Amino acid sequence: MNDDLVKLTIDGIEVDVPKGTLVVDAAKKIHVDIPVFCYHPKLEPVGMCRMCLVEIGLPMRDRGTGELLLDDDGSPKLNFGRGLQTGCTVRVSEGMVVRTTTEPVKEVREDVISFLLSSHPLDCPICDKGGECPLQNLTMEYGPGVSQMDYSLKMHNEKQVPLGDLIYLDRERCIQCARCIRFQEEIVDDPVIQFHNRGRALEIVTMSEPGFDSYWSGNTTDICPVGALTSSDFRFGARPWELTPVPSLSPHSPAGANIVMSTRREAKSGGRSVIKRIVPRQNEWVNEIWISDRDRFVHHFADAPDRLQKPLIRKNGELTEVSWDEALDLVAEKLQAHSTAVAGLSGDRLSNEDLYAFQHLFRRGLGSNNLDLANRRLAGGDVTAQVGLASGSNLQDLGAGDAILVVASDLHEEEPIWWLRVKQASERGATLVVLNLRPTRLDKYADYVFRYAPGEAIVTVRQLVNAAKVETDTAVDQLTAAADTLIKANNLVAFYGYEGLTYTETDTLAKLLANLLLLKNEDKAHAGQINSGLIPVWPHNNSQGAWDMGIHPALAAGYQPVEASGMDAATIYEAVHNGGLKALYVMGADPVGDGRMPNRGQLDFLVVQELFLTETAKLADVVLPAQSWAEREGTFTSGERRVQRYYQAISPLGECRPDWQIAAQIGERLDMGKPAFAASLLFRDLAKVVPQYKGMDYRSLAKVAEQWPLVGGDDVYYGGTSYKNEAGLGQQWAAAAETDEVGLFEVADGDTAVTTNLPLVRIAALYTPGTLINHTPMLADRLAAPTLHLYADDAQIIGLQDGGETVIQVNGRSLSVQVCVNGHAPAGLALLSGVPWFPGMAEFEIL
Amino acid sequence: MFGEILRGLGTTFKHMLQPPVTIQYPEIKRPVRPRFKGRHVLERYDNGLERCIGCALCAAACPADAIFVEASENTDEERYSPGERYASTYEINMLRCIFCGYCEDACPTQAIVLKHNYEMSFYDRTSAIYTKEKLLVDLAEGAEPAPRQVEPGTYDRAIPEMEDPV
Amino acid sequence: MTFTEKYAAEIEGIMARFPHKKSAVLPLMHLAQHYYGYMSREAMEEVAAILDLDPTHILSLAGFYTLYYEEPVGTYVLEICNDLACALRGADEFVEMACDKLGVGVDGTTEDGLFTIKTVMCLAACDRAPMLQCNLKFEENLDEEKFEQLIARLRDEAANGRTPPTVVEKVAAYAKSTS
Repeated sequence: MNDDLVKLTIDGIEVDVPKGTLVVDAAKKIHVDIPVFCYHPKLEPVGMCRMCLVEIGLPMRDRGTGELLLDDDGSPKLNFGRGLQTGCTVRVSEGMVVRTTTEPVKEVREDVISFLLSSHPLDCPICDKGGECPLQNLTMEYGPGVSQMDYSLKMHNEKQVPLGDLIYLDRERCIQCARCIRFQEEIVDDPVIQFHNRGRALEIVTMSEPGFDSYWSGNTTDICPVGALTSSDFRFGARPWELTPVPSLSPHSPAGANIVMSTRREAKSGGRSVIKRIVPRQNEWVNEIWISDRDRFVHHFADAPDRLQKPLIRKNGELTEVSWDEALDLVAEKLQAHSTAVAGLSGDRLSNEDLYAFQHLFRRGLGSNNLDLANRRLAGGDVTAQVGLASGSNLQDLGAGDAILVVASDLHEEEPIWWLRVKQASERGATLVVLNLRPTRLDKYADYVFRYAPGEAIVTVRQLVNAAKVETDTAVDQLTAAADTLIKANNLVAFYGYEGLTYTETDTLAKLLANLLLLKNEDKAHAGQINSGLIPVWPHNNSQGAWDMGIHPALAAGYQPVEASGMDAATIYEAVHNGGLKALYVMGADPVGDGRMPNRGQLDFLVVQELFLTETAKLADVVLPAQSWAEREGTFTSGERRVQRYYQAISPLGECRPDWQIAAQIGERLDMGKPAFAASLLFRDLAKVVPQYKGMDYRSLAKVAEQWPLVGGDDVYYGGTSYKNEAGLGQQWAAAAETDEVGLFEVADGDTAVTTNLPLVRIAALYTPGTLINHTPMLADRLAAPTLHLYADDAQIIGLQDGGETVIQVNGRSLSVQVCVNGHAPAGLALLSGVPWFPGMAEFEIL
Repeated sequence: MFGEILRGLGTTFKHMLQPPVTIQYPEIKRPVRPRFKGRHVLERYDNGLERCIGCALCAAACPADAIFVEASENTDEERYSPGERYASTYEINMLRCIFCGYCEDACPTQAIVLKHNYEMSFYDRTSAIYTKEKLLVDLAEGAEPAPRQVEPGTYDRAIPEMEDPV
Repeated sequence: MTFTEKYAAEIEGIMARFPHKKSAVLPLMHLAQHYYGYMSREAMEEVAAILDLDPTHILSLAGFYTLYYEEPVGTYVLEICNDLACALRGADEFVEMACDKLGVGVDGTTEDGLFTIKTVMCLAACDRAPMLQCNLKFEENLDEEKFEQLIARLRDEAANGRTPPTVVEKVAAYAKSTS
C-alpha cells in the first residue's frame, strides 16, 4: 500500500486519496457533492460559510493499547463526535467515515441556506449571475423550499457600487464568503479589496486609486458564488443561458491563455453575433482557471464600428471601395511586376496559418526572402527551438529544489500569467533569481535580485553563467551563490525579455542563458529535461509562431536556413526610404504608427492588410480588410511552445477574409495553386513542412484530459464559472535538446556602450495604449499615459518635478509626458512607459 | 308519422325563433372569456414607468422561442423602469407564438400579459414581429412618459418591491 | 507636518516591539488617530506606507474596531449600547430619544461639535440598561431626565473650559500605557 494514500469511506464508497486532502475534495473526486460557498479548491480553506457541514466519524481506539475497537460485527467502532464538522477544513485520515446525506446534514444545509437568504435580495431576474449562480443552484438543491423570512424585513444595502471601472459590487447580494478578498491576497497578492465593518453591515471596500487596482480583478467575478461582484463589461449584457460559449485563446497573451468567448446575436448590432464577455477556460498547463484583465476585457476591437469591411484601392488619390477580385488582381500584378524589389512585413498577433501562408507567398510565389516582423523586438526563437522549455512541462510543478531565472523582463506588466506562475513557484519553494535594470514586482518573491547598471546586462549575465561553470562549496558573493543554486537546481527555467536591450543584445542574452541550461552538473544538463528550459517573454501572442513559420529573412518555416538571406525589417525600412524596394506588403502591422517607417518613401506600391485603417494603411495603394481572430479559426503557439487552437466565435464582418486566405488568393493569381479550403487543411499542410509540428493536426490539438479542480457546469459552486476545457489543451513541440545533443552556443561580445549620463529605457505597461486596447471603453481610464520615471536626484538635476508635465525629444520624435519621481527608476536611468516600443537605450532631450 | 313530422318541424321553428349564433364579425365582436389568451401587451405602472425589467425569463420560458429580449441599464437621467435594468429590445414573433401564456407565468413583475386582442394578421413576416413600441400599453391619462429624468435616489432597488412574493 | 514626521521616534519605538512589522498596525493607528483626531484618509495611507500594507487593509481594520473613528467626532462621544439585552430594556427608544434631543442621527455630531451619538455592541452592563459610555465612562440606568441632566452637565463643563480628555486622547493614552 502506498504510504501517501489514505483510505476513507464517503457515503459508503471507499476512496483512496493523498494524505492531507480535504474532505470536500476527497468527496468531489468520487463525484459526491458537498456544497460549499466560501471554500475554493485553489484557496486556503477558512470554514466561514458552514455550508459544508457533514458527519465525520473516526475509528475508535483503545486508550491503553492503541488497538482499534471493534463492533460486534467486526467493523471498527466509529466516533462521530457531538456535532457536524466542516468538510472544507478537516483533512482526511485513515478509516474516516463521512456521511453527507443524513438528516442532520440536510437540516443544517437548509438552515445555512435560509440564513444566507435572510439578507439576500432575491433579485435573480436581473442579476448577471442568475442562471450560473452557486447560491441559486444550491438553494434549489439543498434549500428548504419555503422562506420563513418576511420579505419586507430584508436588510437593504447599496446596490450599485463601482469598485473601479471594471467591477461592480452589489452589497446586498454579498454573502461574506471572502473568496474575492482571499483570491486577491493569497493568489495574486493585490490585497486592494477588504472587508469593512462587521456583522450585517459588513461590506467590501477598496481604497486603491483607481478602485480595485489589480490586473486580476475580473477573476473575482468568476469565483464569487453570488452576483455580488459583476463585471462592467457584461453588465446586463445577456442572461447566461442565452450565450453560446466558444473556446478561444487570448489574442494578447504570449503564455497562450485559454478563454471562452460568450457570444450572442444582438439586435443592436443588426442581428450579428457579438462577443458579450470573455471568461477563462481551464488549462492547468497554461493559465489554470485565471486570466488577466487584459485578456478578459480587450476584445471590443473585434466588434468595433471602425473596422475595415471592404477592400480599398487608391483611385485619384482617394481610397475607394472595390471588389475583392479587383483588389487581389492588382496586388498580384504589382507584386509580380516588382518581384525583384518586393518585401513583406508581418505582425506577430496573427495565427500560424496566416504567417505560414504569408511566407509561402513570398518564398514560393515571389522568390523573395525579404520577409520579417515589422517590429522585431526579441531574438532567440532559434535558440528556444534548441533548448526551450521541454515538452510536457508545467510551471505548476516547479517547487522546492527548482530554480527560476528571470532576466530583463517585467513579467507583471508583460505577461501577468507568467508572473503569477513564477510567483507561485517561488512560494512553493523554488529559488527565484531576478536580474534587471530596475525594481519590478517580481523582486518581492525573489531569493536573489541583481540590479545591473545600464549597458551591463550582458556582462552581468555572463558573470552569472561563468560563475555557474565553476564548482564552489563556499560562495564568495551573492552572484556565485545564485549561480550555484541555479546549476544545482533539479529543474531550471529561464525567462528572458528585452527591457532596455537591442535586438542583438537579446540574441546574446538568449545564447548565454542557453549555455547556462546546457551546463552539466553531475553529467546532467537542464536543457531537454521536463520542467526545464528557456522561455522568451515574447511581446505578442504568436511571436513564437512567427519564428516557427519562418517570418524571418534567414530562416524558412521550421527553422530551415535559406540559401540567400533577404532583408530584415531595418534594411527594409532603409530600402523603402532610398528606393531599394518598390513594393511592400504589410500584414497585421503598423510600422508608420509605431514610428519605424516615417512615410512610404520611394515605394511604388504599398499594400496593407489590416483590421483598421492604421497610419500605414492610410498611405497604402491597396487596403485589404482582414478578419479578426474571433471571426475564424486558427492556431497560436505560446512562449512555452504550446500550439493551441482557437475557434470561430462570431460571423465575419462585412467582406473581411482570413489573412491566410488573402495571401493564398494572391498566390493563386501567381500560379501557386488553389488556396486551402479551410484553416485546418492549411495547418495539415504546414505540419508536413515544419518538422516541429509533425504529427499535429486540429484533432490532436483538440484533445483534452481531466483536470483538477472541477469547474463550470454542475461544479460552478466549486471551482467557479471558468469553463471546463472541452476544446483542447494544445500540444507542446519538443525542443531539440530533448532528443539530440545540443552544443554550446558561440556568444558574441558585450553590450552596446551607453553614451549618455541618463539613458532612457522603455518599460512595459500592461495597458499601453494601442489600436486594439483603445477600443475597450472600460479600460480608457487605466491606459498608461506616456510617463517619464526619474530618480529623485536625476529629476532635480534636469529640473523636473513629480507630477509635472513636459515634452521630450526621443528617437527624433517629440512626446509630451508626465513626470513621475516615486522610486520606480534607479539612479542614472530614466524610464518611459505608455509608449510604443523602441530598442535598447535612447538619449532624450527636454524641449 | 304525421306527428313525427310535426315534432321535427317544431324543432325547426323553435330554432328559427331563437337569436342566431353567428355574428357579423368584424362589425360585431364577440366578447372573450376573462382568461382568454390573446395578444401580449407590456404593462406600465400607474406612474407611466415600464414594468418590464428585461430579465428575459419570458424568453427562457417560451416553448416556441418566440421572444427576444435585450437589456440595458437605467440611469436617473433616462429612466424606463423603476429597477436597475430595462428591456432595450423586446420582440415577440407572433408567427411563432402559440399563446400558451408561459411568458406571463414567468414574468416576475407582471409586465407581460396576454390580453384579449386576437386580431393579428400580417402581410409579411417581418410585420409579425411585434416590437416593444407595439407591445407597450398606452400611457394612462396624466402619467408621465418613460424614459424620463428622475431625482437621483428615487429608485434604488434592483427590481421594484414585489407585492406578494411566494 | 505629517504624523510620520512628527512621531518618528514613537513609531520606531512601537515597531521595535514586534517581530513582524504588520503587528504594529493597531498601535500605529491609535497614534495616527490621535494626531489627526480621527482615521482620515491621510492617516490610513501613512500607516499603510510605514508598514508596507495596502491602505485598504487599514480601512478594513478601522471599520472592524469601534474605537477607530473614520469621521471626525465631537468632544463627547456618547456610545449607547443597543445590543439585545439593552434593547429589551428600551435601548432603541432611548437612542431615538437621545437623537431627538441633540438633533442628530446615529453617527452624527452636533453642530457645536460637542456631542457624537453612536450605537455599540455589548458593553457588559446589561442589568443597568439603558446605558451609554461617554468618552469611555459608563452612565447607567438612564432615562430621559437623566440624559438631559447628563447633557446639561457636559455642556456646562465645556462652557467652563473643563473638558476632559477626548475619547481619541484617552484611547491613545491607554494604548500607550499598555505597550
